Amino acid sequence: MARIPIEEGFFRIPDDPAEPPRLLGSRCPSCGEVFFPRRLVCAKCLHEGCEDVDLSTRGRLWTWTYCHAPLFGKKDADVPGYGVGQVDLAEGPRVQSILLGGPDDFEIGMELEIDLETLRENEDGDEIVIYRFRPAAEYFNGVA
Amino acid sequence: MRRGLRFEGVAVAGVGMVPFGMLPERPILHLARDAGLLALHDAEMTLADVDEAFVGYIQLASMVGIKAMKELGLTGLPVTHIENASATGLVAFREAAWAVSSGRADVAMALCFDKFTDMAGGGGRAGGGRGGGRDVIDAPILPASYFALWAQRRMHDRGTKPEHFAAIAAKNWNYGAVCPTAHRRSDHTVTVDEVLGSRIVAEPLTTMMCCPADDGAACVILAREDLVRSRQPGRALVRPLASALQSETYARGHTFVGPVVGPSTMTRDTARECYEAAGLGPEDVNVAFCHDAFVNEELEYYELLGFCAEGEGDKLVEEGQTGPGGRIPFNTDGGLIARGHPGGPTGLAQIHESVLQLRGDADGRQVDGARIALAHLVGGGSICTVNLLERTD
Repeated sequence: MARIPIEEGFFRIPDDPAEPPRLLGSRCPSCGEVFFPRRLVCAKCLHEGCEDVDLSTRGRLWTWTYCHAPLFGKKDADVPGYGVGQVDLAEGPRVQSILLGGPDDFEIGMELEIDLETLRENEDGDEIVIYRFRPAAEYFNGVA
Repeated sequence: MRRGLRFEGVAVAGVGMVPFGMLPERPILHLARDAGLLALHDAEMTLADVDEAFVGYIQLASMVGIKAMKELGLTGLPVTHIENASATGLVAFREAAWAVSSGRADVAMALCFDKFTDMAGGGGRAGGGRGGGRDVIDAPILPASYFALWAQRRMHDRGTKPEHFAAIAAKNWNYGAVCPTAHRRSDHTVTVDEVLGSRIVAEPLTTMMCCPADDGAACVILAREDLVRSRQPGRALVRPLASALQSETYARGHTFVGPVVGPSTMTRDTARECYEAAGLGPEDVNVAFCHDAFVNEELEYYELLGFCAEGEGDKLVEEGQTGPGGRIPFNTDGGLIARGHPGGPTGLAQIHESVLQLRGDADGRQVDGARIALAHLVGGGSICTVNLLERTD
């Protein structure tokens, strides 16, 4: 049973299940702006030929909501809802993502870390996965 | 770069729309035909008078617009399909107005229609309008969530309360109740508590703060001003004054995946270009229409369209300035929330209501002495259009 990204080219799944997924970004060699997802032409200075970069696995929560509906495509319809957020990565990109946690677990400005969410299984029993963010470990440990 | 257009010598000849709603028993071509005929009748014209047509929708297959036009007759006129997500109708209006203003047509028609009931089952929303790549990444996230993200940040930055959002929604529901073409026509006065008490969709948005799915069709006919004056003596004349259309400009914080909300600067900049092209300012506008698919948008657009300073939209709501008897009534037909939001025809419904208001024919919701109307929509979060119309005697 393998883990398969919902779409190619947006994130990489490491072989080690303990390692977090990496978002695949681009950096403009001319103006230095960093983007997610990958692109050829810089959206800021229009330079052609952005370079591939791996992006941070942590970020800061810009805004969030909790959607009171089962996550689309999820087999487990008992799940009451799911979080959605926009996460600012240190390099600059703002990433929109599913969040792991309940409706009372989020606050604007908190540190998050990236993880994988299984959306469904395909006919071969492989897991179709998407990236998500969850409150960083220190929040769960009561440190923050 | 000049993105605002000023229209010269163009007037509204006729408007028509079918009441929006869930209409599964009515074929889409019949909805389009009926809206087209209502506008032709209002203009006292037939298709033989129309030099060019712009058709638009967002949910249907290619070339359905041509089929819809055939329901009105086959005269050989040029027909062009327009698609700009939720803003489709206003962009079709803009193109028809420019066709006349530029001199290439004496009479131009904008006809838009859509059918969300055809989308039920078999894929539904998740497939609707979404392609591959980044759209697949974003598919698990519902549109309500995108706008809820904006609302949550607003509450954090400005101290806005869910009660502010609910007050706007109640206002639009109560306008819808007295608009015969609205989908949601409440049989009682909707209160803030009722809106807050409806089922929550995505914090802080409840079902009554979100637009419904709709079927519908609407049509606007524009013509040379002298032609309208001679054919419609004694009727109040409504003229399109100016239009601006923009896509996004890049700024840090842009979300390339899930661009449904779009940057707030887009509405502000588009409005400024439209005001400049018309030689008017927000203080001149008497009635306004905006993209209120999710209610927090309307609050933001009070500020971004220039009707109050940044951060003062909440005060406008508390004072009731955007409802009946207020300084700048918004969405007097119920807006997307109550009149409905089929997609393509939504913008033409805004023009329909603008024209009724400027003619003085908006029974039960008339803005006294309205002379200037503004119509704004965003499409897919990635484009914005602002349009101004004027009554002249």
